Amino acid sequence: MSIADSTQFLCFLALSAAVLLGALGVVLLPNIVYSAFLLGGVFLAVAGLYLLLNASFVAAAQMMIYVGAVNVLILFAIMLVNKKETLAAIPGLGVRRILSGAVCAGLLGLLLRVDFTTPWALPGPVSIGEGATIRIGEHLFSDYLLPFELASVLLLMAMIGAIVLARRDVFSSDVITGEGVDQGLIEKARTPLLLEKNLQIQPVLEKTP
Amino acid sequence: MTLQAALEPVLALPAFLALAHSFPTSSLLAAAGASPAASPEALPAITALQINAGAIAPEAAVLVAMLACLLVDLAGEKAASRWVPPICYAGLGASLVLLALQWNAPLQPAFLGSFLPDNLSIAFRGVVASSTLLSLLISWRYVERSGTPVGEYAAILLAATLGAMVLCGSTDLVTIFVSLETLSVASYLLAGYMKRDARSSEASLKYLLVGSAAAAVFLYGASLLYGLTGGSTSLDAVALALQTATTPVAALALVFVLATVAFKIAAVPFHQWTPDVYEGSPTPVVAFLSVGSKAAGFALALRILVGCFEGFQEQWKLLFTVLAILSMVLGNIVALAQTSMKRMLAYSSIGQAGFVMIGLVCGTKDGFAAMVLYMAAYLFMNLGAFACIILFSLRTGSDRISDYAGLYQKDPLITLGLSLCLLSLGGIPPMLGFFAKIYLFFAGWADHQYLLVVVGLVTSVVSIYYYISVIKMMVVKEPQEASDVVKAYPPITWAVEGMQPLRAALITCVVITAVGGILSNPVFSWASTAVTGTPMLQRAITLASATSLS
Amino acid sequence: MVIASAFSPALPLAPALPGLGGANFLAVVSPGLDLESSFSSLLEGLGLTPAAAHLVWLPLPMVLVLVSAVVGVLVTVWLERKISAAVQQRIGPEYAGALGVLQPLADGLKLLFKEDIIPARADGLLFTLGPILVVVPVILSWLVVPFGQNLLISNVGVGIFLWIALSSLQPIGLLMSGYASNNKYSLLGGLRAAAQSISYEIPLALSVLAVVMMSNSLSTVDIVNQQTGAGILSWNIWRQPVGFVIFWICALAECERLPFDLPEAEEELVAGYQTEYAGMKFALFYLGSYINLVLSALLVSVLYLGGWGFPVPVEWLAGALGQSVDAPVVQVITGSLGIVMTVLKAYLLVFFAILLRWTVPRVRIDQLLNLGWKFLLPIALVNLLATAALKLAFPAAFGG
Repeated sequence: MSIADSTQFLCFLALSAAVLLGALGVVLLPNIVYSAFLLGGVFLAVAGLYLLLNASFVAAAQMMIYVGAVNVLILFAIMLVNKKETLAAIPGLGVRRILSGAVCAGLLGLLLRVDFTTPWALPGPVSIGEGATIRIGEHLFSDYLLPFELASVLLLMAMIGAIVLARRDVFSSDVITGEGVDQGLIEKARTPLLLEKNLQIQPVLEKTP
Repeated sequence: MTLQAALEPVLALPAFLALAHSFPTSSLLAAAGASPAASPEALPAITALQINAGAIAPEAAVLVAMLACLLVDLAGEKAASRWVPPICYAGLGASLVLLALQWNAPLQPAFLGSFLPDNLSIAFRGVVASSTLLSLLISWRYVERSGTPVGEYAAILLAATLGAMVLCGSTDLVTIFVSLETLSVASYLLAGYMKRDARSSEASLKYLLVGSAAAAVFLYGASLLYGLTGGSTSLDAVALALQTATTPVAALALVFVLATVAFKIAAVPFHQWTPDVYEGSPTPVVAFLSVGSKAAGFALALRILVGCFEGFQEQWKLLFTVLAILSMVLGNIVALAQTSMKRMLAYSSIGQAGFVMIGLVCGTKDGFAAMVLYMAAYLFMNLGAFACIILFSLRTGSDRISDYAGLYQKDPLITLGLSLCLLSLGGIPPMLGFFAKIYLFFAGWADHQYLLVVVGLVTSVVSIYYYISVIKMMVVKEPQEASDVVKAYPPITWAVEGMQPLRAALITCVVITAVGGILSNPVFSWASTAVTGTPMLQRAITLASATSLS
Repeated sequence: MVIASAFSPALPLAPALPGLGGANFLAVVSPGLDLESSFSSLLEGLGLTPAAAHLVWLPLPMVLVLVSAVVGVLVTVWLERKISAAVQQRIGPEYAGALGVLQPLADGLKLLFKEDIIPARADGLLFTLGPILVVVPVILSWLVVPFGQNLLISNVGVGIFLWIALSSLQPIGLLMSGYASNNKYSLLGGLRAAAQSISYEIPLALSVLAVVMMSNSLSTVDIVNQQTGAGILSWNIWRQPVGFVIFWICALAECERLPFDLPEAEEELVAGYQTEYAGMKFALFYLGSYINLVLSALLVSVLYLGGWGFPVPVEWLAGALGQSVDAPVVQVITGSLGIVMTVLKAYLLVFFAILLRWTVPRVRIDQLLNLGWKFLLPIALVNLLATAALKLAFPAAFGG
């Protein structure tokens, strides 16, 4: 085995170990912040695996999107609502853990069996290295044109939806009749007549400055 | 069409590029064309590799309407509430017309094999587009009354429609996934659209979590299929690879893919999200989810299970038999105990999905046609019911079943419409639902699916019980027994903007539900054309009949 | 380019690395993947096996990067102190070495010997890991900076994209140190830093994309090669003036340089995520921010100022002097000139950055985010569109 091969093999072992241990840590650690950071580590290790496969563009994209965007977003969310809260103890937690552990172990066994019994089409396509960037572009504009364009609709809609759900509304009245409204379901949780007796619905009249 | 012809050379350019670079698609499609399993209608590989962008013209109409809604919305909420409805009608109407024009057209795969505008896809896309149109008609007043922005609402709903429509015709794992996500993400957003209501947010969050898990499972299954093909995502290649695949991996991929399908059509035991999401989401959104989203799910099921897993028919049919029985039994029995109208319809929709699955399990021409027919019938009867309960909640702010007591005194229209639609859902003659259901059971009986048909019949009777109890609540009660809400019923007025579309949708649905059954012959022939015009289904049918004969 | 290619990045640092640089210098003459093979053959001449020679070679480029980055920082710190003094009409460091050139070294030594404090309630592991995560990606990005046709560590195909991807790792480190410090100023600073970093990354990437579109390649070498031909007239700055400005603003924001040093705004946040840090860990942040500044300046010169190109094409000069471009002497001179030009351009930009720091007031956080999302992002998008349009309209001038 040449140095290049053995280096590659060692790298593969290290990265796989990082992926596996990191993923286990993400699931098992009680501290959610650690989980989030480990998730970033897992993403990075996966990027490393892509590098080993000579897919540097995919590796860089993985780094930028998963670590640079997704994971940072997750960390943001965790840190902005980092309330120390003691949750009520879940009854039978131990049994639940054992059960879900057993399910996961069973699934793992099943996957391993499938993995070893399947005659995979090996070796897969030969890596084209640096030409991959161009090939990806060609695919995006030929046989993956439809999903590529649809993804733009998906992103646009997700962005608009996120803004709509997150913003403080300037108008909080019925556009047609001008009544105050509460931006809730029309069907109230309780019968409206009961509601009226007990508490008046407070129309949300919040105006952004 | 002339425009498309003019563009054809330009659009075909990438295809030649693709050929020049010998993409896996091209070789695999060529292989599919050469294999004996391919139907005689299969076109030569060279025509298969064209962009043929006209195939998604209906989707383009929806997209244009969506963008127009967003642009109009920039002019302010007043302008939006004035202009967004006509834009949506125009877009969806154009989409339906374009779909009608595509009907029975010579079949050409579009986008280098990632989209196939066969009759099956057109039928389901038509159902999706009509469900959006009707949902939008009944939405305007609801959304405006709640004070949430109308333009974005319509845009997101149109995006969901776009995703669902592309999903109905996609023949490529990547396209399937992206369109599935477009539909799902839009649905999550819509479920949480009443953002100051904790129930709506809860519904959205639950839907998001369960949906993401389902999407992840689908991706895992898709990656297994991709691995089997050795580097192609096209469904043709997947079908080819599955012909020689070993059982364990195919079974695993089947279960994973099936889990997603079952999640989308809310089949038991993948239904847990349904009641909470249906109860917490805005009612017009529920109307869309229960019809449009479900239709897309069934189209996906047909595409993947019938198109790819031919060799594993027994396995998936067994699984679907179990799912169908569980759905019919659980959906219809739990619906008995519901006190909220939306929750009851949620469970009822689980049961209805179980009925439709009978057609899928049959795998005969009648079975598929009955599926298409039932979806079309379900579109009108379910949306009619939703129009009625939206109208009721707009007037009273309640959706409890007990609050409907004595309604016929105050609001005969809702009473009549809801009664007819519920009767049709239960399958009482001479409603549309009766003919659809009888066709479905007939197809099942002919294919010797006796267990399914018997369970279907029994649970239909159960469903009739709870549907009729609602009708009894509305009709039989004496005036003094009426609920407080009905006693304080506001005067009926249609003057407010947004009520007229609601009335139009209500009356359309109710009329079609009521008389559609009697005039159902053209619908029958339409449904069977949808099946005969689809090579994939034809192949499955010939295969099934060959095995049954031998 | 036979000999010039052999120099590899050792050249800019030759003074810093007398032993290494000198040894290689004379030994290397072969073309192609030059430095490595010649270094190996040298070691093999000393009696090592090829495998061992390769193993010895492996860490060298990394060390080279590290050393060059650190030396670049030392120079920048000295410049900063001198220029800020000049701006404020002071003298600045004076006694440590001639003109105070040894002052940064003294600063560094001081930090190195200071006590390494981990606050009592802090999260020790993350606290230590944070600064490392900030520095490592920045140093790694030096891999793609070219000083000449073959004078870079690795001419990877994804080149500039690798830099963008690596720079997106930085926020993780900042968030980590902000969180681990267990201090609200630190946490806020870390969050601000991450928010700023991701907001400005988008217009930055878009302006890079416009350049990439013109050169049809992500590789930094190709990007520079596309700017040669007519000397200063062929530099990208004339074709991408808007992109240049956007890139520079975003680069400053990414480096958290004034006017965008919100994460460590003293008046509001003490020192942001650095508040609890001391000694070498603080030095890592310090080092990271200056390495990043030099790196950004280098990349601006690569992307917009013609990289190693001389304002007048070297071919013309050689022709005017009656020399063949392929002559070894010309090659050596061209190579050295390239390195000098790259560094000169970069330090010109560093000079501007320092001048900006001492003359411009700090923006508010909302102004910063508004500028990024509502101004730079749309402009960058329009710039990208316009570039695509111009490329279609004038393929000759915009790299068809």
